[in-house]
Amino acid sequence: MLCFFEKLGGICNASAALLVLAACHVNIGPAFAADANTSVTDYKSHGFPFLQKHCLQCHGEKKQEGELVLNGFSDEASVLKGRKILTRALKMITSGEMPPEKQARPTLPEIEGFKSSLAAIFERADRTAKPDPGRIAMRRLNRVEYNNTVRDLLGIDFNASEDFPNDETGHGFDNISDVQWFSSVLMERYLAASESVVNRAIVVTAAKPPHRQQHGQYMEPAGEGAPKTKFRPINNEKPDSPIHTGPLNVPYTVPADGEYIFKVRAYGKVEPGQSVALAMLVNGSGVPQPANDAEVGTLFGAALKSLRPFKILKVAEVKARDEKSAEVFEVKVPAGTHLDRIAVALLKPTDGKPVPALFVEWMSLEGPLDTRPAFQRKNLDCPPGKDKLAHTRDVFSKLASKAYRRPATNSELDRLLKVVSDTEARGEKWEAGMQLAVRSILVSPKFLFRPEFDALSADPRPIGDYEMASRLSYFLWSSMPDDELFALAAKNELTKNLDAQVKRMLKDPKSRALVENFAMQWLQLRRLSLVSPDEKLFPKFNLKLRNAMLEETTLFIDSIIREDRSILDFIDADYSFMNDVLAQHYGIADVNGNRPGRKYLKPKGELIQGSQFKRVTFSDGERGGLLTQASLLTVTSNPTRTSPVKRGKWVLEQLLGTPPPPPPPNVPELESGAVLKGTLRQRMEQHRANASCASCHARMDPIGFAFENFDAIGAFRQKDGEHPIDPAGTLPSGQNFKGYQDLRTILKEKKAEFSRCLAEKLLTYALGRGLEMYDTRSVDRICDALAKNTFTFSTLAIEIVRSEPFRLRRGKEDAK
Amino acid sequence: MSSHPMSRRALLRGMGVAVALPWLEIMGPSQAWGADTPKAKAAPNRMAFIYVPNGKNMVDWTPKTQGAGFTLPSILEPLADLRNDFSILTGLAADKARPHGDGGGDHARAMAAFLTGAQPRKTDGTDIRLGISVDQVAASRVGDEVRLPSLEIGCEASAMAGNCDSGYSCVYSSTMSWKSATQPLPKEVNPKLVFDRLFSGGDEKDRARTEASRKSILDVVREDAKELSLKLGTNDRRKLEEYTTSIREIELRIERAAKLPPVKAPDGPKPAAIPEKYEDHIRLMSDLMVLAFQTDSTRVCTFILANEGSNKPYPMVNVSEGHHDLSHHGNDEAKKLKIKEINKFHTTQLAYLLKKMKSVKEGDGTLLDHCMIAYGSGNSDGNAHNHDDLPILVAGHGCGTIKQGRHLVYPKDTPLNNLWVAMLDRMKMDVTRLGDSTGALTGLA
Repeated sequence: MLCFFEKLGGICNASAALLVLAACHVNIGPAFAADANTSVTDYKSHGFPFLQKHCLQCHGEKKQEGELVLNGFSDEASVLKGRKILTRALKMITSGEMPPEKQARPTLPEIEGFKSSLAAIFERADRTAKPDPGRIAMRRLNRVEYNNTVRDLLGIDFNASEDFPNDETGHGFDNISDVQWFSSVLMERYLAASESVVNRAIVVTAAKPPHRQQHGQYMEPAGEGAPKTKFRPINNEKPDSPIHTGPLNVPYTVPADGEYIFKVRAYGKVEPGQSVALAMLVNGSGVPQPANDAEVGTLFGAALKSLRPFKILKVAEVKARDEKSAEVFEVKVPAGTHLDRIAVALLKPTDGKPVPALFVEWMSLEGPLDTRPAFQRKNLDCPPGKDKLAHTRDVFSKLASKAYRRPATNSELDRLLKVVSDTEARGEKWEAGMQLAVRSILVSPKFLFRPEFDALSADPRPIGDYEMASRLSYFLWSSMPDDELFALAAKNELTKNLDAQVKRMLKDPKSRALVENFAMQWLQLRRLSLVSPDEKLFPKFNLKLRNAMLEETTLFIDSIIREDRSILDFIDADYSFMNDVLAQHYGIADVNGNRPGRKYLKPKGELIQGSQFKRVTFSDGERGGLLTQASLLTVTSNPTRTSPVKRGKWVLEQLLGTPPPPPPPNVPELESGAVLKGTLRQRMEQHRANASCASCHARMDPIGFAFENFDAIGAFRQKDGEHPIDPAGTLPSGQNFKGYQDLRTILKEKKAEFSRCLAEKLLTYALGRGLEMYDTRSVDRICDALAKNTFTFSTLAIEIVRSEPFRLRRGKEDAK
Repeated sequence: MSSHPMSRRALLRGMGVAVALPWLEIMGPSQAWGADTPKAKAAPNRMAFIYVPNGKNMVDWTPKTQGAGFTLPSILEPLADLRNDFSILTGLAADKARPHGDGGGDHARAMAAFLTGAQPRKTDGTDIRLGISVDQVAASRVGDEVRLPSLEIGCEASAMAGNCDSGYSCVYSSTMSWKSATQPLPKEVNPKLVFDRLFSGGDEKDRARTEASRKSILDVVREDAKELSLKLGTNDRRKLEEYTTSIREIELRIERAAKLPPVKAPDGPKPAAIPEKYEDHIRLMSDLMVLAFQTDSTRVCTFILANEGSNKPYPMVNVSEGHHDLSHHGNDEAKKLKIKEINKFHTTQLAYLLKKMKSVKEGDGTLLDHCMIAYGSGNSDGNAHNHDDLPILVAGHGCGTIKQGRHLVYPKDTPLNNLWVAMLDRMKMDVTRLGDSTGALTGLA
């Protein structure tokens, strides 16, 4: 939460304006890319003299304002040592904060010279420096990663980390290892979670298979006309009637896949010399190899056609002729049948004889026969003839290797086997021992942390394939590597196949994690669940609308990743996704973007109805891109009104990578008594007391005001109360815009800034650490590649994975 | 539909939210403090620290007269019935919350410096550093007498996105308790989990099995940690140490619990989830604090009502703007009045807590007699962001060591940490310095 002082804005005098102009001129683009057109200027003639002329009176020998000393930076060597300080100083100078108002302003050429001379020194150093991939502290699984890893390891999908303490945020993300701490509270939660998780994966005593039975009149077709007798007939409805009743069926929702036993009890009634046979059927849209026309033709009943598709599991002759001797017929339903209904039908007599009658008492379904969890069924059963101990070791060899994300060692396996044997020695079952051993895997530091080991030398080294597999999977999926990644790592072929693997992983549904974790944090949308727009002013805002807003942005970002579109589409695209609630909020009627009550600009399309989301192509430019999505417009507003400052700051920070500096510590009091009138814009422009406030707000406010056409919950408006919206403005660079649509076009043109900003943020997320000076080179390379490849998302992901900080690791610390 | 039996947790979830814990009344003290018990023990002193953010409207907080018998300014009116159980301390300062060259970030610094008297390192994530907080100093010395060294609770989870205050990591503005300069302690926001922490244990039969299981697991992971430590670089080894320390702490806690008399969990429905309404949440957490003290599960508690910089609106007192936005009032009278309403809302909740403590009989007095509750903020005026003239209230009689019902005025810039040293003194802990303290605060007895 930042302190914003929204009363001040606008440029109040000419000198401040010039300053701001100068500021913007030098501030756009990467801080130190040397401009090809200006010659490399010499630090001795343009660098140090600048400091002497404009800075050293207050930051030199005589005075050290703000404890900053700059007189030591007289040559290249000292400049390199003080890179961080000088970078900050340059930012202050180019943004106009320094020198302060009262001092003489440096001219534009002077600032340019200072900047280029510094840039030249830093670039030379970067070009010749040894690669420094930086230091990533050992990373621990955060809450989301824990849930996903448990899901992929054991097939258990529930919010196991619900009770864990919140992850701390650093550098904008919750997967930064420097802000991950371990406390005994967290350890207690891990222990508790391991129990919940393992109890869902392995049971000691399997529950009895559920058994359900349905009788006579309650079988389908049901209703008032159904006979209420104990045994329900399948026969001619009336003598001489061509209508035959049947089949009888019972709908069941099958809880889990597996084997079932289907039973039916019945007897038959026939003419002398005749026989009667029944067929046991299972119906369902997913039933494999359903009966074809010929097979269906062997049965009859009025309800037969509507029961399709069904499969005939068994045909049997019914010998019993009365209730007392009624037989029970049984058939096994194999796994993978996915039935919706069980049914019994009468077989057509083949020899032209009259139709017999079948009397059915009940039908039942028992199962799944194996009620154990899927994980246990697939992995724990000991094959007949195999030694139990060897089998246990094999089970752990597979599981622990996956859990630790590299092959398990013998001592690790020994330890796990000991847990099992100790448990059995206490008189408990083998399964209980397995539970305990798996629990210990889930709280082991080898599972909870992602350790990476230093080389023996001081030089940076490429990380191993297993380490790379984990970095890749936690970057793109927020989860553990899959079998294909493990297989490649085992053969040492992963690093050779990075591009192909990244492409595959982006296409996998698990890459949704990039949207839910990276994007939601980049765009600060996790705060959306916390906003509380005033109920009286915004009665339309409710849980449904909030969820719809969030879903729109989620689907939009997901589409850009999945369709491998240009990242510039984030800023402006001609499509989005909405359901009925959101479409109403936006005033859009159908998927071609036509608006209700207005002339249709496009042919009529499918109406947007219902809660399912549909892809919508816009017919006008009112919406399009993240900046016009209600989620972002709401999260950058206050509970009772819009906040142009927050919106402007958001654009600068999250899209352009040029955040405004924090407000100065002592913001002066406003003169009391001044009456504030007019629109929000007019009120803010009336406060122009402090020029240094004005210079920063000149960067933020025009952007925010351009979006005043959207209220605090993102609905479009032409008026704010009784005042018409005035969205026009001027950027500090001098570019004018008529409204947000113009501004959006301008922003989309800032390809270098935006791609750099996004690259830096995604790289931070991928690495799990903040970026430092030595990463500049890597970011430059990523941005160059993006520009050459039409800014596609996959390029960004691949370049990050290929970058030095992602592929390499620093050498041994002590050796340095 | 899954085929495993319904967990206890799922069952309780269906019971909805318990707003007030009914069993507080029927529950007698499980530790009988007083002369008529075989082991006659005097009730011990407890300390609690309650934080409210964004400063206060000081003109409605600071009493106009010094000493006893002062008229209650409007923010303190909800505490009228407890006149003789609290005092207002004026003039204390948290100097380390001031910028000292670090620029913006007064919210992060305000909370960070409050219980530590240390200046937080300005960083977005890398190399977080602060100092140990008074509650953790106390917790580390409480030793074997209680099951939980300390309890950290709150009503607002940590921030979920972005940075929080001008380049300071969110951890500074949402955490009050620091175990060491580099280890912040997360606060528990879910009342159900607080309850579980206080009363989990199950019956005796379960316990033996649970302990054997836990021992098995901890033996394995201890070996795992040893193996891992050998291969890690120095920095990472330090991170792993946090892990091994946590294991050791859990083992110690189990050992300690085994030696202490068993705590019987109260009957009745337990809290199932976080209440929807803010005031219900605060009251439920307050009830749990009282319960924790009453059962002597712990003697040290920190309670953050809302994070520093919190922008929560307060519709229950007709304030629909965000708290933080309002606190930058720029001398707008209407905004200041709304701030006052928010401050008054908070003191109303404090009154609830103190009254509850007063209603618990203990020995020859009440729980409130044997507590020291500090309530306040690291910011004075929310607009000026000044860190002197802090709004500080101290309630409870500290086992007869604090004379209440007064307005004490201290010389300008008296360190707030002097109050903490004075409180540690009253817990008979041999600590003479903490953070930027210059001695124990006088005038309280």
